Amino acid sequence: MRPPVTAAVGDHLPVREIGPLTQTDIVRFAGAGGDFNPLHHDPEFAREAGFATPIAMGQLQAGILAGWLSDWCGVEHLREYEVRFMAAVLPGDVLELSGEVVAITENGVHSEAQLTLAASRGSDPVVTARATVIVRS
Amino acid sequence: MSESLVGLVVDEVEFEVERGKVGEFAKATFVRDPVHTDANAARDAGFGSVLAAPTHVVVAGHQRDQRALVDRLGVALERVVVGSVKWRYARPLQVGDALRGVRRVVGDERREGKRGGSMRLITLETEYTDVLGGTVVTQRETLIEKGIQ
Repeated sequence: MRPPVTAAVGDHLPVREIGPLTQTDIVRFAGAGGDFNPLHHDPEFAREAGFATPIAMGQLQAGILAGWLSDWCGVEHLREYEVRFMAAVLPGDVLELSGEVVAITENGVHSEAQLTLAASRGSDPVVTARATVIVRS
Repeated sequence: MSESLVGLVVDEVEFEVERGKVGEFAKATFVRDPVHTDANAARDAGFGSVLAAPTHVVVAGHQRDQRALVDRLGVALERVVVGSVKWRYARPLQVGDALRGVRRVVGDERREGKRGGSMRLITLETEYTDVLGGTVVTQRETLIEKGIQ
């Protein structure tokens, strides 16, 4: 296994920007994940549901944020990841991914970092998350 | 009116973690780590095959029926939103894994809304086990049905 990443309380992960997201990005995720709810690809259906265009499925932004985290820590070191959905994401949105180490605990075997994470559009989070990751402290 | 559904099995899925799907899902979620696409990178990381992206079990959606789930839970689709999802990992998923996921209702409660009416919070948990019966990943999702009179 790869060694865990070194981390300390207060560390910020390197910010990443994704987008502008396109309808193609949403369709690609629909095919990958198997979410064929018309809200995510049918403009008329989305309009009737009160949205200007089809919206991204929450699992798209949840997966983007998780993948950005595992790019940093290594997927084999990820222990827990929890997302909360705050707002709909539409084509054209640019997401900024950010995260911070808020605590580190030792359990005798290894160190675990607690992180808070967000995918934001401007200053508004569309997804917030917390995660537990094995690190070297 | 409706009773608590805690304990009800809402669906079951079985699938293999396939290399093509792992690459597709990693690309769809903008993941960059080559362990998800390159067998050599996975081997250098200490694994015998390519590793799946963290939320890969979402691909179970290909086998699930949203309409049937909603009917089973007795909720109105247009009033339901997913509030949160949590994954707990025992180990990373690898190409070649064969997983079975049983999804159960583990929480079902009503809360009074701030502006009258009430909402129902339903928590579903899927435990994904491998062929040896070991738990690989557990996914817990909370559905919120708003505006119940």
